Amino acid sequence: MRVLLVEDDRLIGSGVEDGLTEAGMTVDWAHDGRQAQLALETTPYDLVVLDLGLPRMSGTELLDWIRKRRDHTPVLVMTARDTVADRVSGLSAGADDYLGKPFDLMELVARCRALVRRAQGRSTDTIEYGDLLVDPERLTVTRGTERIALTSRECALLVELLANQGRPLSRTRLQDSLYGWNEEIESNAIEVHVSNLRKKLGAHLIRTIRGVGYVMEKAP
Amino acid sequence: MRSIRQRLTLLVLSGVVLVWAYSLYSSYRQAVHEVEEWDETRVEQAAHALLLLDARDLPVFAGASLNVSDDDGDNDASMRLLFEVTGADGRVLAASPGLSSLGLPAFPAGAAGPLRADDTKWHVYVLGDAARGRIVRVFEQRTHRSELSTQVAQRIARPLVLALPVLAVLVWVAIGSSLTPLRTLSRAIEARSPDSLETIEVKGVPDEVHPLVTALNALLQRLRRSFDRERAFTGDAAHELKTPLAAIKVQAQLALTARDPERQRRAMQRVVEAVDRSTHLADQLLALARLEEATPLPDAQVDLADVARACIADQHVHADCKQMSLTLRADGPCVVRAPPALMRLLLDNLVDNAIKYGHVQGRIEIATWEDADTTCLQVRDDGPGVAEADLSRLHDRFFRGEGHLEQGNGLGLSIVARIVARLGGKLDYTAGMDGKGLGVRIGLPSPMPS
Repeated sequence: MRVLLVEDDRLIGSGVEDGLTEAGMTVDWAHDGRQAQLALETTPYDLVVLDLGLPRMSGTELLDWIRKRRDHTPVLVMTARDTVADRVSGLSAGADDYLGKPFDLMELVARCRALVRRAQGRSTDTIEYGDLLVDPERLTVTRGTERIALTSRECALLVELLANQGRPLSRTRLQDSLYGWNEEIESNAIEVHVSNLRKKLGAHLIRTIRGVGYVMEKAP
Repeated sequence: MRSIRQRLTLLVLSGVVLVWAYSLYSSYRQAVHEVEEWDETRVEQAAHALLLLDARDLPVFAGASLNVSDDDGDNDASMRLLFEVTGADGRVLAASPGLSSLGLPAFPAGAAGPLRADDTKWHVYVLGDAARGRIVRVFEQRTHRSELSTQVAQRIARPLVLALPVLAVLVWVAIGSSLTPLRTLSRAIEARSPDSLETIEVKGVPDEVHPLVTALNALLQRLRRSFDRERAFTGDAAHELKTPLAAIKVQAQLALTARDPERQRRAMQRVVEAVDRSTHLADQLLALARLEEATPLPDAQVDLADVARACIADQHVHADCKQMSLTLRADGPCVVRAPPALMRLLLDNLVDNAIKYGHVQGRIEIATWEDADTTCLQVRDDGPGVAEADLSRLHDRFFRGEGHLEQGNGLGLSIVARIVARLGGKLDYTAGMDGKGLGVRIGLPSPMPS
């Protein structure tokens, strides 16, 4: 799950970035509206966390710009201006959720998850696939009574493949959704994660398509 | 007297009484004059008649007194005329009865005038006829005359005295009703809610009260603007305070939940940083609030070069962090009339900004010098400078320039501008060093040589 964080305040931004990363999300942090535009034009995101008081281009303008290009990526707005009138105008401008500063980090994480879940058409946070029950929040997969722990990257990879069942995903695409801008990536990182997942969940779960990437077949 | 109504009533009534008193007096004088003339004419006529009467008729005539009632028949106002007719030899031909008992002195012929006998004033008219050898003296008691005049005066005064209370009531009511718009106005103002700063309706207000209402409205408008400004400031301040609070909360929660110890440590560090930032913000807000107070500044003099040296001593640590040079250029002492703490606050804010927004390894120069009648302080840097469009908004509260990631609160230059305004100085933005960056020049009035 790749999130674009747009926040000009260094201390809040770094806190949210680390918090969302801890929760297993991949976070790109844009410090102003222009940077955010550039990111949105080049990378697909599952969610945008947007501060309204931005330099150069206000958050409201950015939100407007996102919606005008028919981009339906869920947007969570966070701002210190959180009167009812502010909330209403924010939501009617195309925000999917609204969080007033100072906010609770746990609440932010939960709301981010809920927004992505809603965008993917799921009503619960867990994903069912055959006899597997994937819980991205707890980074676990349950098969019957057995509980299998995953790392946050493994879980993110699994969720990405599950969200695109039956559609092969390229290694680059998977890398993009797992790693942010500034993270160092080993050239065989995706292969390592896939092989770990196969070890934990079964060899036939993820199929390799040579020269293309990986795919999980549609749930039986 | 505080009441317009009482005052006006009193003034109008005293004016009326004054005019009436004068007209009463002059009417009385006129009446007295008329009465006297009329009396004298009558006395003269009586004297002429007596002169022409037959000698035989005179004693008969003397028997009947010359009592004449006046026009309206009042007995008490009856006239008393006494007469005496003497022959050429001085023999009394006829006289009113009782005249001799009064012992009036003889009066020369051809004269007229007042006469006093036994505390009674008389008017005497003497007429002589040489041909018939007869002298007629007619005496008229003066009290009768003055009684008559008094009566005339009373007649004139009575309606006036009766009319005065009626007039007073009329004047009182008229003035009261003329003041109704004032009462309506004060009721309208009384009925307002304490936080309503809407202007007062000018329609229907009398011309005399118009300037008052207009002035009041201007005051209300100024008040409303200042309230709006304060409200906006409170809102902005709360908003600004929330930002470091949000940072503290996020970082603290991160420190509590993060699994990575390095991440935890970093989060705690940022908590401290955010607390520092909100402390600084609170300090700045407090400084600004104190500067808004109307209390007079303490009278003190300070050398700007000294302030600059102290500032550099404290700030060079921060400048060193960005490997910036912080220098002072001062020819000699530059004394201004200002509290030292205030000048220090001003300079700290300018240098703080220059460090914050300047480039790494940049230069900052503080300069002080004296012009004809101003003492100047200038802080220049070779940083990114400020866009022309932003210059005018630079000292708006909470305004932050764009395109940098520095965590300012946008209050520094508002504080500087406020201090300069309180010291009666002038603030200009100039070019920075080497044609880039920003320069802030402050001119303060030089103290009078004492």
